Amino acid sequence: MGLADEFFLIAWDTAGSGAPQLHPRATSLGLAGALLGELTLAQRITVWRAEVRVTDPRPVADALGQSILHEMINAPEHTDVRTWLAYLARNSVEDVAARLINAGLLRRTESRLLWRKSVRYVATNYVKGAWPAVRMEKMLVNGERMTPADMALAALVEATGLLDTILLDRRDRLAARRYLATFMATIPPPLRDLTGHVRAAVGDAVLSYRA
Amino acid sequence: MTVRTRSADTIVTALAADRLGVPTVVYFVLSAAAPLTVVAGVVTTSYAVTGITGLPVAFLVVGAVLALFSVGYVAMARHMVNAGAFYAYIARGLGRPCGVAGAWVALVAYNALQVGLYGALGAAAAPLLDQWFGISPPWWLIALVAWALIAVLGVMRVEVNGSILAILLTAEVLVILLFDAVDLLNPAGGAIAISALSPGELFAPGVGALLVIAVLGFVGFESSVVFSEESRDPRRTVPVATFAAVAIIAALYAVSSWAMTVATGPARIVEVTRQDGPETIFNLAGAHLGGTVIDIARVLFVTSLFAAMISFHNTTARYIFALGRERVLPAIFGRTSVRSGAPKTGSVAQTALGLVVIIVYAAFGLDPLVQLFFYGGTFGGFGVLLLITATSISVITFFARRPGEENIWRRLVAPVGATAALVVIVYLAVANFATLLGVDPSSPLRWALPAAYVVAVVIGLAWGLVLRVTQPEVYAKIGLGAEAATGRATPAMARPAGNQPRHARSRTR
Repeated sequence: MGLADEFFLIAWDTAGSGAPQLHPRATSLGLAGALLGELTLAQRITVWRAEVRVTDPRPVADALGQSILHEMINAPEHTDVRTWLAYLARNSVEDVAARLINAGLLRRTESRLLWRKSVRYVATNYVKGAWPAVRMEKMLVNGERMTPADMALAALVEATGLLDTILLDRRDRLAARRYLATFMATIPPPLRDLTGHVRAAVGDAVLSYRA
Repeated sequence: MTVRTRSADTIVTALAADRLGVPTVVYFVLSAAAPLTVVAGVVTTSYAVTGITGLPVAFLVVGAVLALFSVGYVAMARHMVNAGAFYAYIARGLGRPCGVAGAWVALVAYNALQVGLYGALGAAAAPLLDQWFGISPPWWLIALVAWALIAVLGVMRVEVNGSILAILLTAEVLVILLFDAVDLLNPAGGAIAISALSPGELFAPGVGALLVIAVLGFVGFESSVVFSEESRDPRRTVPVATFAAVAIIAALYAVSSWAMTVATGPARIVEVTRQDGPETIFNLAGAHLGGTVIDIARVLFVTSLFAAMISFHNTTARYIFALGRERVLPAIFGRTSVRSGAPKTGSVAQTALGLVVIIVYAAFGLDPLVQLFFYGGTFGGFGVLLLITATSISVITFFARRPGEENIWRRLVAPVGATAALVVIVYLAVANFATLLGVDPSSPLRWALPAAYVVAVVIGLAWGLVLRVTQPEVYAKIGLGAEAATGRATPAMARPAGNQPRHARSRTR
């Protein structure tokens, strides 16, 4: 399962009501970051400070990842991580949901209350929908060793403000934050910079919020 | 068109699709400025409290000074992350300890502005509640209802629909213009008196008070730069919107405050406003307009106050959030509500302060209109004046280190002129603080209120220096706001948007 898939299953209550757990702007930016994270983990692109570059143009197996990689190869003048985050965030929820639906993991339902349409995503298998959040909680609370992919997921969860959703116990939160602070020192630099930009973009959305 | 440029356009065009144009930014800025709150509440109360009549000229003078200030301000904004916060400019221009001092001043000032509004709501809503329900609850009860609503809206971040705000704002401005026309068509004594517009008014004793009140009327204009990264063309949209907002505010308030003096006669405006308070504009227009128009205007006064309360609440909460992200305040202030994305802790902190202030004022039986609304407003307005002045100095020092970045008008001439004018205004404001508050020159309040900012500055400087020694990694990120996560001090997205080809821009409207 890809980084963005796991982030999606945490950001939406797929094992329960199917409603979003996280506000829309952070969800879409988190997913955009996860999609870039997948390409980073596949060593097709790399992030250094504010720049993202394609380092290996060979195709990736996943169709969504491949279409993003293709766009990045065709637009080498856009090297700013934030430009790509903003660009991918526009459709990231639909894109990743479609990938999960194609894989048979998710079902999309629509309901209408008065004039408001609400979209829900429910896992076809309860255990598979709940697993990423449970696994992440366990790793963070117990301070388990993490792969780079798990570190990226944990960093994205923290960057978007989802941490409190998967850690319901206050003492767990403290322990998890302390653990996060230590492993962020060991996370590969491209993933550190990428998730840092997600965190900044989410914060920016708070500061430039209108009304 | 080659394949390569088309693919580049896809990204630029897609990102430009939901970007803001000049009118949208102007609307956002003006709805925070809440025109009817200023005209019905601030202008009438300031005539009553200060007892001097030069306010219309003061609006024009301050408008001109702020327009001059904006030249350098919007130029520097393009180089800033966290562009919406004055303390960020001060941190870049005058050093990080000064930035923290500026942040503390801003927290005091914007909180005062927000909390002060609770005092006006009672006066604004009382006539309506009496007329509709025959009840006359105490001011603090009305304030507590509004407080509870703000508390919920602040954390829930319920989408207050942008178009509803736009409709309310348009209606407010139309009502103000209608009232102005009625006042000017029905001058006291049959002749339109222009004495309140005479520049000679500026040499009357107490002018510093009028200048602070005028600055208060403009608060909110600074928020235009927040939209840099979301605007269609940051080099054009934000400057044009800022100048347009300043010009509209200056013209609207100058004409309205003058029209009132025409309707009462310049000699009687102080007497009338002392007697009628915020009712003044409704009484003056009510003599010539139907009751329905007046009722609509009263409702708009209440919605205008409420819009201003939400706006200042959010501004304060975001300031606290940005400081939490920088770790200048504890990290918990940098967290958001998971569901709504609201700056939760900052919002709750601001709400708590509001409750304390309402309770204290109610318990001590202080006057809500003068001692809460007007003192809160002018005290906050004075704080914003200090921030603008420090920011203006920062613009000069910032560009002094980067002479190639902007032309000499934007980086030197305009900022130096603005700074000189602002320093004079600050001097006059301090000298005339007793007039501003309408108290005897020997009153301790006259020094206590300005001294509150001195305390904020001293504590801020000290905290900045403590951070430099004890937490250098936090110190390095002072002023970066949300960008503290990356440590980047120059904005990201302004560049691709600014470089986009003309045809791509015109295609997206």
